[in-house]
Formats: sequence, C-alpha cells, structure tokens
Amino acid sequence: MSSLFIAGHEFHSRLFTGTGKYASADAMMDSLTASESELVTLSLRRMDLKNQTDNILKPLQQQGIKLLPNTSGARTAKEAVFAAELAREALQTNWVKLEIHPDPRYLMPDGMETLLAAEELIKKGFVVMPYVHADPVLCKRLEEVGCQCVMPLGSPIGSNMGLASRPFLEIIIEQSTVPVIVDAGIGAPSDAALALEIGADAVLVNTAMAVARQPAQMGKAFRLAVEAGRMAYESGLGERRVQAQATSPLTDFLGALS
Amino acid sequence: MKIMLNDAPHEFSGETLQDLLTHLDKSEQGIAIAINQQVVPKSLWRSTELNEQSQVFIFESIAGG
Repeated sequence: MSSLFIAGHEFHSRLFTGTGKYASADAMMDSLTASESELVTLSLRRMDLKNQTDNILKPLQQQGIKLLPNTSGARTAKEAVFAAELAREALQTNWVKLEIHPDPRYLMPDGMETLLAAEELIKKGFVVMPYVHADPVLCKRLEEVGCQCVMPLGSPIGSNMGLASRPFLEIIIEQSTVPVIVDAGIGAPSDAALALEIGADAVLVNTAMAVARQPAQMGKAFRLAVEAGRMAYESGLGERRVQAQATSPLTDFLGALS
Repeated sequence: MKIMLNDAPHEFSGETLQDLLTHLDKSEQGIAIAINQQVVPKSLWRSTELNEQSQVFIFESIAGG
C-alpha cells in the first residue's frame, strides 16, 4: 500500500481521526492507538477559568501523532483566520483544518468564506486543509489558490449517513491534483472502505469511532476497512456490468444426463 | 489591576501577561493568547505589559473533530 503525502509529510495511514465526543481521554487514546491514525484534529475554545480541562495533548504528543487544529466555531473568513493564528500559536503547527459553518443546525460549510480564508491563510504560510461541500468547482478553486488537499463531506457532520455525496465525490476525485480526504458523515467502516475504493486518498472519522460501545475495537475496524479499501483501489476493481459473465467454463458435459 | 479576561472583569496583582498566567495557575501547554484581537506569541508573554484597557482572551486546545 502506498504512502500518502500532504505538503511533503508522509502518512502511512490513510485514516485521519477526530478527538471529539469520546467518553474519556483513555477511551480516546485506546481507540486512536488501535486505529493507527497518524493525524488527529483538535479544537480551540476560550479557556475555562474555573475548571481544569482534561489534558489530551500530552498523550497525543507522547504517541507522536500529528496534530491538526480546526477552526470550528468560526462563522466568517475573518474569524477563521484569527482562529488559525491562535491555533498555530497554541499547537505550534502551521497546519489547519479550515472549517467555517455559520449554521448550527446542519453545520453546512460556507464555501465562499472558506475560499476567502484559504487564500489569506496560504499567503500567511499555512498548510490549509479545507472542509467543504462535495462541490467539484469549489474544490478546484481551492486547489488553484494553493490548498494542499481538499476535504469534501460525505454527509452532514455526525450524521453517520455515509457517502450521500458519492457522485460528486467521484467528480472531485477525478479532477483533483491534490489529495482528496472525505470528511464528515462516515458512519461505518464500510463507508470508509467505499471512499477509498472509489479513489479518495484518505478519510477523516470521528463520531463513528468515538460513540461506539467499544471505541478501541471500532478504531481497529476502521483501520482494516481503510486498508482494505485502499488495497482494492490500488489492485484495480473489476468493471460493473448488467449481464452475467460466467466465472466457470460453460461446458455441456451435464447434457449427458438428459 | 483590573483587566477584561475572556469577556469578564478580572482583578489581579501583576504587570505582564506572564504574571497573569502565573496568577491563573493553568497549564501553559496548548494555549494561545490574544490582546485586543492580536495574537501574542509565547516569546512575548514576559515582556507584554497589561493595562486597565487590556482585553485579554486566553484559548485552550480541546477535543474536536
């Protein structure tokens, strides 16, 4: 199985993961370890001055996992740029998952603000990974302004609806010259496998692993599915056809019985 | 001195951003600070002086997707 390169960084695993919604830091670490993910997302928020926050940074850093801060909470390009600058300072990385969703109900990404923010962040030296609709035109525009990959959604965040956007993902995959990472909505390992089979370079999974009854086992299930999907893609899948085509030679020796 | 910290008035005795952090007694790992909407790099925390007009925001990294 080939490695994935983004901005010159080599990933052996094509499974990227989120750190949200886990019941505990231990459950998260067990799940991420089993998944063998090499890139995890984190968020920023205003510090809770009254309570001590569960420190998840240390175990992630000890494991050597690359951290990808997101701009979640930003509703405009301006807010996202500010969030990215804060995140760069907080986590000492110029990588950022750019996400701008002004609508809290469906968390639909705002493509126009995302493009504006991407352009500005790239000028400021960031490696920008934009979370967007499965919009082939927008993905091309983001590539043209210098995004190092694109992250189109499969279906709404946390919805577990899988690759509802499949026909559009296929166009994006066909046209893109930067890695395509399917983000959001991947509810089952089979969704992840399908994404890789159709040629996505990686997937980002969070909810499906975090809310599983056994997050560690689910982490492993996703690892295997992603590996299987990628291997199938690299091996070359057979063509689909309506008519049957025999796998055994159709001989007439049974004709002797009649 | 009384400053605005994360949108609420906050009283502390000290002069610099580093004094404020010491006073808050929070982990300095994975945090970022902005004063009046400008990110202040960690290398400048010791030399950045606060005043009564300072609008300080401290952010921390948390779990997220």
